[in-house]
Amino acid sequence: MFDFVRKHKRLMQAILALVILPFAFFGIESYQRFVGLANEVAEVDGSPIGIAEFNQALERQKEQLRAVLGGNVDSSVLDSPTMRQELLDQLVTQRVLQLYAAKRNLGVSDEALRETILAIPAFQENGVFSKERYEQLLRGQNLTPAMFEALLRQDLTQQQVAAAIAESAFVARTAARDFAALRAEQREVAEVVFPPAQFAAQVKVTPEAIEKFYAENRRDFEVPEQVRVEYVVLSPETLAVAGGVTPAEAKAWYEQHLPQYQQPETRQASHILIAAGADPKERAAARQKAEEVVRELRANPAKFAELAKKLSQDPGSAAQGGDLGAFGRGAMVKPFEDAVFSLKPNQVSDPVETEFGFHVIKVTAVRPERTVPFEDVRPEIERELAKQRAGRQFAEAAEAFTNLAYEQPDSLKPLVDKFKLRAQTSGWIARDSETTGPLANPKLRAAVFAADAIKERRNTDAVEIGPSTLAVARVVEHRPATVRPLEDVRTEVEARLRQQEALAAAQRAANERLDQLRAGGAADTKWSAPRLVSRENPAGLRPDAVRAVFQVDPAKLPAYVATDLGPGGFAIYRVTRVAGPAAADEARVRAAEAGLARQAAGTEYQAFVQGLKSRAKIEVNKENLQRKGG
Amino acid sequence: MAYDLEEQEQLASLKAWWNQYGNLVVLALLAAALAFAAFEGWRYWQRTQAAGAAAVYGELQKAQRSGDGKKVRDLAGMLIDKYPRTVYAPLGALASAKAAFLAGDAKTARVQLAWAAENAKDPEIQAIARIRLATVLYDEKAYDEALKVLDAGPPGEPFEGLFAAVRGDVLAAKGAKSEARAAYTRALDRLGRNDPAAREALQIKLDALGAG
Repeated sequence: MFDFVRKHKRLMQAILALVILPFAFFGIESYQRFVGLANEVAEVDGSPIGIAEFNQALERQKEQLRAVLGGNVDSSVLDSPTMRQELLDQLVTQRVLQLYAAKRNLGVSDEALRETILAIPAFQENGVFSKERYEQLLRGQNLTPAMFEALLRQDLTQQQVAAAIAESAFVARTAARDFAALRAEQREVAEVVFPPAQFAAQVKVTPEAIEKFYAENRRDFEVPEQVRVEYVVLSPETLAVAGGVTPAEAKAWYEQHLPQYQQPETRQASHILIAAGADPKERAAARQKAEEVVRELRANPAKFAELAKKLSQDPGSAAQGGDLGAFGRGAMVKPFEDAVFSLKPNQVSDPVETEFGFHVIKVTAVRPERTVPFEDVRPEIERELAKQRAGRQFAEAAEAFTNLAYEQPDSLKPLVDKFKLRAQTSGWIARDSETTGPLANPKLRAAVFAADAIKERRNTDAVEIGPSTLAVARVVEHRPATVRPLEDVRTEVEARLRQQEALAAAQRAANERLDQLRAGGAADTKWSAPRLVSRENPAGLRPDAVRAVFQVDPAKLPAYVATDLGPGGFAIYRVTRVAGPAAADEARVRAAEAGLARQAAGTEYQAFVQGLKSRAKIEVNKENLQRKGG
Repeated sequence: MAYDLEEQEQLASLKAWWNQYGNLVVLALLAAALAFAAFEGWRYWQRTQAAGAAAVYGELQKAQRSGDGKKVRDLAGMLIDKYPRTVYAPLGALASAKAAFLAGDAKTARVQLAWAAENAKDPEIQAIARIRLATVLYDEKAYDEALKVLDAGPPGEPFEGLFAAVRGDVLAAKGAKSEARAAYTRALDRLGRNDPAAREALQIKLDALGAG
């Protein structure tokens, strides 16, 4: 080996250079890519979507779904392979747009960001942006304004090109006019129906036919397997929690968590903003103006609100007399905050310079730092501690419960005795019957229909049927699947056969009549009164009938079309004339134009995103995608 | 420090190698460094351009939302003049085309869309500009020109449905019924299943051409 190195020094040097050079320019990361997607769910043009990131998104989605569907949903409903695939698709789309935004150096100016925030209705009070409301809503989401603004900026940047495509979509006026005319066009239609009831009398059902039908459709007459079960449920509620929470315990907890009961100082302030950009001349003028305002206010402090309404260039607060509401440290830009927290109440500040211009500030209220006294929060703490204790007891009991159910599989009695539970008994249930309560859970349901549970009458495993809720069930009675004997179902079979044959006869009759009509015969057809049908007002016709009626060439009238009405039989429609209107009215055209433009915007946007995706290199690690937990 | 024979031999050969290739190595490193600097400079210039263009585009969006068509067109003109290589220029052209079209100025709309179709860097934006250019031509009854614009074909599978749909409109207006039917059928086949509104509209237009 070393001989080789010595003999081929030149070669080795070249190889070394080849190996090292890429590190110098691209870092070690690019090399790891050759190892494959070990810790990623997918990779988009080299940008990884990690397992942790994917799971976070999945949890977020689950929470949202749970909020919509209510608490008692089985987690298998919220986490199916298809849902994971769809979620990944969304994440990939997002990533593709992010990478595109970076590649094309897209950005959103501070001003555009500010305007977007000011225009969000949720942050407004009486149609005006309210800083207080803004911060309050963000606190509810555990976000600071800076975090929210960064997120929003990212979002706006990502959506910029898509929004540009959607907002610049339009539709040809001719197309809108033609489309509106098509939707408004009326055709005069009469119908004749061939209901199966009309042919039922002609139908003869022989005993042989009944037997044949029964033999061929045995599955329709099956009564599925059924069981009756008893079950026990373990949850913090069914566990009798021993002992309340003592005041001393509550007090100790309070002292340990003191910081969360301390509320920092907040101040309410009003300001008058004289806005100024970076230009020094503009700055100087603004400073002078602000100084004038200060002089005026020092002479007449009561005029603050009035002057703010008149002069302040902060659109968010001017209408409220400059009032910004109460806020703590960290909410405002630094120089502004320093001024507010050093002023005495009702004192008017000197002009304070910030990136926005010059502010004249007055503090209107001070709420000093304060600690919530123990007695105020004691019930809350006691409740919380009791809940924690029940949860802990449940966690300890859960394992023993699970083990005991497994170790003594022949009875629920040990579980009932040990955990002081109450066993309950169900009625007869089949695999797919609708029930409520623990047996509605698909996992538990599947468990009671397992071979072991039915043949050996073994306890099922302890199944988690909800958050912190375990259940064990045991079959007490079992009825195997049976097929109802022919004698019991003879009338049912006969009725079905009769309907089937009658429908076939109706179809034959309809087709025969249609042929005659198209050949110019069948003058004795009993048509319904003619009525006008349009695409936007189908006058009771089924969608496929409407389509058939409007596919008729208006140059060759009268024309006849037939449609299947399902169990209602068959119908023939006679189209006699096109009843106008020749052109749609202006309002309809306008509506069609708006609708088609919206639709074009959506379709073009989708095509844009799909186009970017089809050009990106997307790799997916299927195993990581479907891996649960972790 | 003393070197043994073998080491001296190695040093000598290394020196010889350096004498022979040293200049080349230095030159190569220099070239690499220069290329890197040039690349970074180019990136920086691109970023500044994009930031400037983004600010103008922000103004344009505002004008667009307040319905000020003239301002939209002025700002789009500025983007095309000053920042033609950014993505904002074709986006401005698209917005300006719409404003012009709505104001009844189809000629300006055509010019703007043709510019975007020609100059956008992304094939997706080019394709959207072409679809809209064909739409304007169709509205002006310039059917053959519209078909010519569409003839260049969609840049990829995601655009096939849209191209076929506009082609269908043009062919139907031209009176080429069976070709129009084929185009609409193709559009229906290619448009996403999750776009029911577009599919319904296509189906109505297709039915109106008769069952064939």
